[in-house]
Amino acid sequence: MQLETQLHADRAVRYSSSNVRWSWIAAVAALIVWSLIQAGIFSGRTLINAGGWTLLLSFAQAALHPQLSPAFLILTLDSALITLGYAICGTSLSLMIGIIGGVLSSEIWWQAMSPTSHGRGIWWTIRAGLSMPRAIHEVIWGIFFVNILGLNPWVAILAIAIPFGAITAKVFSEILDEMPRAPLRALLNNGASPFAAFFYSILPQSIPNILSYTFYRLECSIRSAAVLGVIGAGGLGYQLWLSFQSLRYDEMWTFIFALIVLSGAVDIWSSQLRRRFGGTARLEAVNCQSASFMTKPVYRRDRAVTLSLIVITILIPLSYWYVQADFGTLFAPRAAKLFVSVISDSFPPALDTALIKELSHQTVQTFAISILAITVAGIGGLLFSFPAAQNRLTLTGVLNPKNHTALTLLILVPTRLLLLTFRAIPASVWALLLLFVLFPGILPGAIALGIYTLGILGRLMAEVIESLDERPLIALRSCGASGAQIFFYGVLPRAMPLFLSNILYRWEVSVRETVIIGVVGAAGLGRVLAEQLSNFDYAGMTTTLLFFIALTVFADVIGVFARRALQ
Amino acid sequence: MLKKFLLLLLGASLLLTGCSATPTEKAGVVQRPLVISAIPDQDPEKLQRLYDSLASYLSTELGVPVIYEPVVDYTASVTAFKVGDLDLVWYGGLTGVQARLQVEGAQAIVQRDIDAAFHSVFIANVNSGLEPFSDIQGLQTLKGHTFTFGSDSSTSGRLMPQYFLKQAGVTLADFSAEAGFSGSHDKTIKLVESGTYDVGALNEQVWESRLAVGEVDTSKVIVLWRTPAYFDYHWVLNPNVAKDFGADMPENITQALLKLNPNVPEQKAILDLFGASKFITTENANYAEIEAIAREIGKIK
Repeated sequence: MQLETQLHADRAVRYSSSNVRWSWIAAVAALIVWSLIQAGIFSGRTLINAGGWTLLLSFAQAALHPQLSPAFLILTLDSALITLGYAICGTSLSLMIGIIGGVLSSEIWWQAMSPTSHGRGIWWTIRAGLSMPRAIHEVIWGIFFVNILGLNPWVAILAIAIPFGAITAKVFSEILDEMPRAPLRALLNNGASPFAAFFYSILPQSIPNILSYTFYRLECSIRSAAVLGVIGAGGLGYQLWLSFQSLRYDEMWTFIFALIVLSGAVDIWSSQLRRRFGGTARLEAVNCQSASFMTKPVYRRDRAVTLSLIVITILIPLSYWYVQADFGTLFAPRAAKLFVSVISDSFPPALDTALIKELSHQTVQTFAISILAITVAGIGGLLFSFPAAQNRLTLTGVLNPKNHTALTLLILVPTRLLLLTFRAIPASVWALLLLFVLFPGILPGAIALGIYTLGILGRLMAEVIESLDERPLIALRSCGASGAQIFFYGVLPRAMPLFLSNILYRWEVSVRETVIIGVVGAAGLGRVLAEQLSNFDYAGMTTTLLFFIALTVFADVIGVFARRALQ
Repeated sequence: MLKKFLLLLLGASLLLTGCSATPTEKAGVVQRPLVISAIPDQDPEKLQRLYDSLASYLSTELGVPVIYEPVVDYTASVTAFKVGDLDLVWYGGLTGVQARLQVEGAQAIVQRDIDAAFHSVFIANVNSGLEPFSDIQGLQTLKGHTFTFGSDSSTSGRLMPQYFLKQAGVTLADFSAEAGFSGSHDKTIKLVESGTYDVGALNEQVWESRLAVGEVDTSKVIVLWRTPAYFDYHWVLNPNVAKDFGADMPENITQALLKLNPNVPEQKAILDLFGASKFITTENANYAEIEAIAREIGKIK
């Protein structure tokens, strides 16, 4: 025990007293129990519907015989290209928003430009302004833009670019602020203008990390583009939705396989590049001191990187062309007119007591859904991330001293494929499948969102493991520690803070994503929003969105405090 | 679609070889195409993927270019109709009313023969212990059971079932859990078949066609009740059309749709996509009852 405390004391990341830690653990446990009560686990009601297994089975069996007629494959290919096109357009635009917003919302920019202090006010305004778009899910942005632009490819592009741009801006500003400041100071002291000094020091220093993060966002964009298919964007999500409405399982599987291939390919490309850039999975969740993040400057020529950048440069204009996005339509007078009419329909928000009461109830339910979802994803992530990580820490390395390549592949490949499938199948499809075998309530939707989130979180956690420093483990092994000992004393304690940080991040995202699964199982704010949408009740929607934003901000605040406690 | 893909390959190869590709502009005055769309809730994948036949039929008949815009979301479709991106849309009873309320001068012009007397069915899982009934008051036996609608905006899967429940004095709070929204008629069938929900309500046409091809496990699901008749699906025409294509265009469109003949194979294919044997005329007044019900239930504010 004494030895353990001593070991902990050596680690700079743990300041918190164990009391604080235990109260967090107790609070989290209480929250999970409370959510389970909300889901009716302890009510004595039957939860599992045995009658639905055959239906679930027939869906699974269809995976063995997807629809493969030539015409259908061409449709699938075209749809895949459209989805990829939207993802690339959305990401490229979000990168622009992110760079501009990131620079303007970084502390270092305002320190360089206006050292005297009145920049501080502008800085806060921009920061606060950028936090709003993040709180609103892409689908809601999409609906908003349909009302302004009508049927237009820009609907999906902007629906991805605006929330992603705001997230990217936040991350970029953090990257910029973390950069070593000595070069900037040197330039300023030598009389360079603040503008030039910034562009020749901080910005180039941060480019590998910015590019690395952009590629991570591209992965996310593919999933978003698929979800946005339903509101007119077309592509795989749209086709999948069509077949899903009539439950044509064979067709659904063709599209699911296409989504797996597409998002798998982008994931591999992105993770290979990110490894070369020296960035890790998700920068905002990564503790900068402990990861390899930002320690390896990548200025040497790397042919894979150069080639990738060339390919992307070609793909961007090609994507805008393929989805037929015309810049002119963005500034058509009609768009301005419709914008005014949407805003005037949406304000003032509806404030009748019945609605407020309903929304308060559903906000609580939504919160419970998000807790259950992240519990499923977090536990699943712990189980799946180790077999899915590919480095010497796990089966390939320290824990597998004899280096069984076959064993590794046997575990690594299926685990990764499973995680990929979890995130390639949209949460709404998972929700219906679960509703076959569970009785209605918040549970089917929560588990559905949990499985989908697990697909993403499991991968992020595997990347955390891959980025851990291997030297302490090698040292442990040299001292004769067994595989289990290395795992419990060397791997787990160091991965855990990063795991929790990633879990927190995904929890904040799942609060937003409840909007998608709200429809099935008739629970949460998403359900209310769907009904208001179908009634064209814009004033009511504004109120629902305000509740949504409040919940998101609440989750973010908890996230901030939890992260502080983690450090 | 294939053409677009080949074009992409061409575009890519041009870019890669360093040539610059400029999009070809059509010479002369460009006639605005007539934009049509449909949001079916029966077999949407068939209509949305095979729409070319309808667009080319109308184009030949009307002598103007016709584009089919595949939109699947009710709200997005009504919104697109409102902002003027869609000229002629195949709507359900409720969505048609919602679209017309947002566009002054929009007209319901044509419907299918079966739409003048459309029905919904209430179905139940055999394990629920519910028995078929012939009087609307029988809906009271549903109290204390679980129940699912189809999609929010569906006339046959949501609006009319809720209306008849209300007529029988059953409110949504009388069910043992919150009423579900399965999302489509097919999902309603499967969720009742699995027993997740005891009872569901859906479009009778979908029910009949699924029964006919043996996609329903009739040992698990029974029909409780068939609702009285009401008006449902219809084509709604945007007033822009008369303005942009001439005053006789609305009539030409109506005639083109009415003319569809089940004895001509290509035209039968189009009718089949809509699950119709022929189209008949209709008018806004036919949907006054739907509108009144929608207001009563709160679907129209």
